[in-house]
Amino acid sequence: MASPALKTFVGLRHTTVENHHTKPISTKLTTHKRFVVKAGKFSPKVTGRNLRVAVVGGGPAGGAAAETLAKGGIETILIERKMDNCKPCGGAIPLCMVGEFDLPLDIIDRRVTKMKMISPSNVAVDIGQTLKPHEYIGMVRREVLDAYLRDRAAAAGATVINGLFLKMDVPKSAGPGSDSPYVLHYTGYDTKTGGAGERRTVEVDVVIGADGANSRVAKSIGAGDYEYAIAFQERIKIPSDKMEYYENLAEMYVGDDVSPDFYGWVFPKSDHVAVGTGTVTHKGDIKKFQFATRHRARDKILGGKIIRVEAHPIPEHPRPKRLSGRVALVGDAAGYVTKCSGEGIYFAAKSGRMCAEAIVEGSENGKRMVEEGDLRKYLEKWDKTYWPTYKVLDVLQKVFYRSNPAREAFVEMCADEYVQKMTFDSYLYKRVVPGNPLDDLKLAVNTIGSLVRANALRREMEKISV
Amino acid sequence: MSMALFSSPPTHHPTSPPSLSPKTHLTRKTFLYLKPTKSHFLVSIKATDNGSGATVASVAATVEEEKKASEAPDAAGSSLGPNGSPAAAPAVKEVAQFGDPRWVGGTWDLNQFRKDGKTDWDAVIDAEVRRRKWLEDDPESSSNENPVFFDTSIIPWWAWIKRFHLPEAERLNGRAAMIGFFMAYLVDSLTGVGLVDQMGNFFCKTLLFVSVVGVLLIRKNEDIETLKKLVEETTFYDKQWQATWQDENSSKKD
Repeated sequence: MASPALKTFVGLRHTTVENHHTKPISTKLTTHKRFVVKAGKFSPKVTGRNLRVAVVGGGPAGGAAAETLAKGGIETILIERKMDNCKPCGGAIPLCMVGEFDLPLDIIDRRVTKMKMISPSNVAVDIGQTLKPHEYIGMVRREVLDAYLRDRAAAAGATVINGLFLKMDVPKSAGPGSDSPYVLHYTGYDTKTGGAGERRTVEVDVVIGADGANSRVAKSIGAGDYEYAIAFQERIKIPSDKMEYYENLAEMYVGDDVSPDFYGWVFPKSDHVAVGTGTVTHKGDIKKFQFATRHRARDKILGGKIIRVEAHPIPEHPRPKRLSGRVALVGDAAGYVTKCSGEGIYFAAKSGRMCAEAIVEGSENGKRMVEEGDLRKYLEKWDKTYWPTYKVLDVLQKVFYRSNPAREAFVEMCADEYVQKMTFDSYLYKRVVPGNPLDDLKLAVNTIGSLVRANALRREMEKISV
Repeated sequence: MSMALFSSPPTHHPTSPPSLSPKTHLTRKTFLYLKPTKSHFLVSIKATDNGSGATVASVAATVEEEKKASEAPDAAGSSLGPNGSPAAAPAVKEVAQFGDPRWVGGTWDLNQFRKDGKTDWDAVIDAEVRRRKWLEDDPESSSNENPVFFDTSIIPWWAWIKRFHLPEAERLNGRAAMIGFFMAYLVDSLTGVGLVDQMGNFFCKTLLFVSVVGVLLIRKNEDIETLKKLVEETTFYDKQWQATWQDENSSKKD
């Protein structure tokens, strides 16, 4: 399953390598690509001070980036506009994130070990039987996770500033060899300025844009737009006997009534559930979809009270430009949300860390100025590591979220143990592992069978209507 | 569970009480009594013949009627407005729930589909089609007490082939044969090469291959557009990811 995807990916990189050989470009950069010279060797040394990097946005991406930078000996400032921000979010993190980011277990409100997939005709399939006892999907509160990562960054030496990023002055020449700083304008909030805040500026050498789906940093560098989904969610406090059912279970509802291109969900939170849905193509009907989601979960959330309504955009694909000069985008700002599941927290944190690592390496722990080529290394590593995951999820979305028959087939396939094992393995550990080829073949045959049956039933359905 | 609105063989009216307010129950019951006397007749006559398609159609007609009838008194109730507070969730929208005497415990009871000592798979398919259509038009709440776990793979592969693949295969083979005959005649009349000699020629074999593939993939005019869109779709996501690298190449140029 992964090998065709990997082959295509190598194909992507082939074109750029060929271009390097055919186009006339500065020798310095050809040297980079051909002899894999350590980046930054030709950059001017930063004298008298360490490299200064600003991370705009203090979510998982910003927090992870700031911590890695500070640990690498770089002068880091982290600008976050709302320290107690409660980002409306599913809040699910994969198991590998707990290990990779050393998250304390008390950050996790709930461990989801079972999921129920519910088809348009209410066929309900439980998945999670293949999970080992130590495996789970962690449900977190964003305000808790974000604050923890920021605090850790501050402990590592980063300066956390409560401020709202306004705009950025790009130096005239940000090409290789230059070291003019980027000037960031922001409104700083502290006890002196009160609510109104005070216009301040800061000069830095490198900027990491981790400010989310509506990224202003992205706008400043003209990164371009992406298609986005609207995720709409209501937090509902349900009676405790009903809450028991959701103790460690999350539900996914699929159907045209719930969303034409995404899914509706019921995720358990600390002491309530989040019921929501999302869509890319029919944003105007989101309230209708939300009502339908509540209707489908009605029996299970009966007697519940809505305590909060929230919505947020979710990027569907990366921005056309994720890098410009010495400014790089990470997380939602770059558009690193997977299709099919809409997962973004882990990828935000990981990309923040990867970008920071590239800066630390390229600047030799803050001694040298970095240049665009060093930041490109982060993009290269990112694309190489996670492209198969993104592509597989894209294919799954295209195949199984197309129409009601496809969704029925999807839920039917979820009942298969091999599918469950593959799904959870790739979700929890973020690897696309090619399984046993014979099992893969059987899976392919079963998938096609399911799809054919569901579509055949659909054609009959059309005959009896009208 | 809620009332089934039609039944083929049994002559009694289903009286299982619905889990909604008694008032609506009464009104629905009256409609039940009004309608089925005549449509029930229809159903019992048709049920005896083997045309499953016809039965489904007539049955569906009665179903639609009765669904609409029971919806009429409820329309007034639901116009109170789904204002979105689940505290008022019970019975905001009262629409007939899906019910069928052969639908038992969240799946189809295959014993009730026996015909001549064997399971009538066509009837199972029809019943499932009807259930999905019903639920698509009126989605219902998924319930923990009555989980649904019907899986279409219990219907054997040959039943699917017989019902869906064979008619289509017949149509396609017919088309292929017609095209083949006409092309063979045309080529013979233009070049004098007979059918047997045509089959030995590489160019003719290529043409044959192209026409077989064409007949398989393109069955309606819209299919050409669909195929073009599919090809574009498979590479679209890759292009979105590559966009940042195109930028690198263009910036290197200057």
